[in-house]
Amino acid sequence: MSFLTPLFLLGGLAVALPIIFHLVRRSSREKMVFSSLMFLKPTPPRMTRRNRLENIFLLLLRCLAICLLAFGFARPFFQKPMAAVPQAATSSRLVLLVDASASMKREGLWSAALERGEALLKSASPGDQVCLLVYDDRIRTVVSFEEWAGFGIAERASLAARRLASNAPSWRSTHLGNALIAAAEILEDTESSRREQEPTGLKRIVVISDFQEGSRLDGLQGYEWPRGVEVAVEAVKAKRPTNAGLQWVLDAEDSLPAAAEAVARLRVSNSSDATAEQFQIRWDGIADAPSLDAYVPPGQSRIVPAPRLPAGVAGERLTLRGDDHDFDNLVHLVQPRAEEVNVLLLDDDRENDPGRLLYYLKRAFQDTRRQTVRINTLAGGTVPSAASLVTNRLLIVSRALPENQLTLARQSLSSGGTVLCVLNDATLGDTLGRLTGTAGLTVTEATVGNYAMFSQMDFEHPLLSPFSDPRFSDFSKIRIWKHRRLPLESLPDARVIARFDDQDPAIVEIPSGPGRVFVFTFSWRPADSQLALSSKFVPLLYSLLEQAGGLQAQLAQYRVGDTVDLAAVLAKSAGVELSVRQPDGSLIPLPAGETRFAQTEVPGVYEVIGPAVPVRFAVNLDLAESRTAPLALDELERLGLPLKPREIALSKPAELRQNLHNTELESRQKLWRWLIVAALVVLMGETLLAGWLTRRATRQIEATV
Amino acid sequence: MAIKNLELRARIVVEGFWHGIHRSPYHGFSVEFTEYRQYSPGDDPRYLDWQLYARTDRYYIKKFEDETNLRCYLLVDHSRSMDYGSLSYTKAQYANTLAATLAYFLYAQGDAVGLLTFDEKIREYLPARHRTGHLRRLMLQLEESAGGTATDLTAPLKRIVEVVRKRSLMVMISDLLAPIDALEKNLTSLAACGHDVMLFHVLDPAELAFQFDKAILFRDVESGRDLFIDPATARKEYLRQLNAHNAAVLAACQRLGVGYRRFATDRALELAMFDFLRERMQRGRFINRRR
Repeated sequence: MSFLTPLFLLGGLAVALPIIFHLVRRSSREKMVFSSLMFLKPTPPRMTRRNRLENIFLLLLRCLAICLLAFGFARPFFQKPMAAVPQAATSSRLVLLVDASASMKREGLWSAALERGEALLKSASPGDQVCLLVYDDRIRTVVSFEEWAGFGIAERASLAARRLASNAPSWRSTHLGNALIAAAEILEDTESSRREQEPTGLKRIVVISDFQEGSRLDGLQGYEWPRGVEVAVEAVKAKRPTNAGLQWVLDAEDSLPAAAEAVARLRVSNSSDATAEQFQIRWDGIADAPSLDAYVPPGQSRIVPAPRLPAGVAGERLTLRGDDHDFDNLVHLVQPRAEEVNVLLLDDDRENDPGRLLYYLKRAFQDTRRQTVRINTLAGGTVPSAASLVTNRLLIVSRALPENQLTLARQSLSSGGTVLCVLNDATLGDTLGRLTGTAGLTVTEATVGNYAMFSQMDFEHPLLSPFSDPRFSDFSKIRIWKHRRLPLESLPDARVIARFDDQDPAIVEIPSGPGRVFVFTFSWRPADSQLALSSKFVPLLYSLLEQAGGLQAQLAQYRVGDTVDLAAVLAKSAGVELSVRQPDGSLIPLPAGETRFAQTEVPGVYEVIGPAVPVRFAVNLDLAESRTAPLALDELERLGLPLKPREIALSKPAELRQNLHNTELESRQKLWRWLIVAALVVLMGETLLAGWLTRRATRQIEATV
Repeated sequence: MAIKNLELRARIVVEGFWHGIHRSPYHGFSVEFTEYRQYSPGDDPRYLDWQLYARTDRYYIKKFEDETNLRCYLLVDHSRSMDYGSLSYTKAQYANTLAATLAYFLYAQGDAVGLLTFDEKIREYLPARHRTGHLRRLMLQLEESAGGTATDLTAPLKRIVEVVRKRSLMVMISDLLAPIDALEKNLTSLAACGHDVMLFHVLDPAELAFQFDKAILFRDVESGRDLFIDPATARKEYLRQLNAHNAAVLAACQRLGVGYRRFATDRALELAMFDFLRERMQRGRFINRRR
């Protein structure tokens, strides 16, 4: 005999009540008025033998009724053996996601996360399958399902906890959304591979994290969360809330003159649950540098200029003081160095002659903080060195070249260089033919009626793509008085980028081996066209320079985990062994042919060693990591995650099955009904007996009176 | 007791009694209404009964008719203990009806009836008279509810001794639920004054049997005192004490020649009247014998 709700058996203790009432029935609150108490003495209420014996059968009936009721409410049933169930079905799968992002570097958080993780691992039942993942903006598997299954049952929890403890928070940002999706997919993958053999168990993801506001959840947008995968949240909390972060704001205005005093600007952001508002910023490692006070209310950010450095001192690290956590208080700065770009004009133009090309070239390429464009010219027979070939990104040919210079230009083309051929006059046909390897190319002077205009511009070509916006695509104001005609039929590989309105090609790109030749069938001399005077001239030249590889995105600041594109550095230093010096001084050699550097694991200043001038770039913490206020967890629910409270035991399916079986047995047997009926019968008997006893007592009293 | 009006109730009892009297085996009794007293020197010779002297050759003083009429004082206990009743009426109602009945009966005979109600002190006093309206006043006084918090049997007796100089019939109606130490002494002085004293002891059947079964708090109706009492254990002692009390009262009455009657309130009033008259008759014989 078993009970479905055995706690109700405690109701059987109520059997004491009628016994007590029978024993102390004198202790009634009732009062009787009597004429005089002069013949009466007080008698204390006590349990006399007579009371106990009085109406003993009535007492037994009452006790029996209470016992039957308690027994009935306990829902008794006769136990029958349950059908055997394969043990594996009771197992559940658990993916433990531990946050190892930079914000977990805060005091006490990581150790708390390790403790929670160990407790969860230990609470897993032997049948459970556990996968342990650590995430920041990547996901790393610490213990996979297979490894867990391979461990001995006794020590698997401690082994996994030890592996987890060997990890440490990285400097990377938190991509909680991606981590959750990855975990759900791991569960789904194992699910689909196991589905044939075993029935499904409980699937759950437990996230141990500080759930900071800066966690990225964007991956979850539009992701359909798989059914049956629960998410439990284990938040670890920092003892002190205030955290301010520091970020270097890169200037967007590239055109600032290089001479201007450059002052780095910093964004100071304060966490929304902060208690402090006043912070100090100072240069790190410079003793007499002044500090700067920044006032930032909680949840807001301010941009402040970096404090001025003493003359002649260079600083690369700024620190922030005044908050509770130090992990994001250091920012690394690398002031951009103006890059020197060389353009070689194979002509002997005088600089001050406004009727020649150089005059406008010099004025078009102004020095900026990012780069200095130097225009070199070569007089008639001068032969430049091989090294100057490498440094000159763009060769401009504007006259028929002597043999030695032609060889130089061909060399440049064969090494992937870019040559701009400006057809000043029809004599350049031979030079162009030899540059492109087209024998017998003849260029003729076109006959232009009044003036020619550009038409059929190919804005999809990278050269003209900066003008693709309708605001900038109007070239109709440029009038061309003279241009040359290029026989396209003899140049099968040529791509016409722009034509004149008389259908003659205006700008043509001709590939030549790894390099390429851009041909302008006109020149920007005022005698030929208005191009040099139009607003299109400077952007067109910069676009050309960019096509020639002369303008590269500046390496300045990256976030931890970013991949740095070193293609520009590689292009400048072909054949040189490159390696990257990390902030701790160690060198990482860059494999040959690799243009990307991805090992930016630590914030600091990295240095690419190998080029003549080492390239430096700063790697800083993602500012999102500084937003350490707790994330509103209903945001997760809004994204469709079924959050479960932790209190629910990980898995007790065996117990659950037994309970279901018991409930079914009980509902089939329904013994409680008979017990209630029996209790009712006993109560009726009790009522009749009590009535009879009362009547008899009344009769006796009447008889005596 | 179903009849509200006390006077009507009394009249019905008396008339019923008169009707019943014909069926009674006791005939020829009468309340003494005349009196001859042997002449002693100093008595006024105007009151000498010459006819008696002619018959008996002895001097007898003949009392005036009104003087020789019976004066009856009803001493009715109006303490709160009389308010108790286990039947549909209380002891006080029963005692009042009894007093009213006697008053009506005596008044109808032309006797003077006085009233004294008391609890722990004297509450009302009406001298014995036989006047128009006197009976009505007496009934009104009787109908006043009981109010006292205790019973003092000494004060009314002392007072009546002081006030009533003439020889009278004293009928005391009480439950006597009070210490009786001084009762005997006062009864003695009352009897010594020549008064004819009768004691009607009114008790409720519940007081006599004490047949309660529940152990509960008992509240004294006079003092308001609460006592927890289990009748099962207390009954024996109660009955013993009550009987001792009653026995003490009876003994005192017998010593002093005071007529004593105990009425349980469930006893019919006619029978009480009958008891009263029989007592009177016996006392008349006793007095006559004494003479």
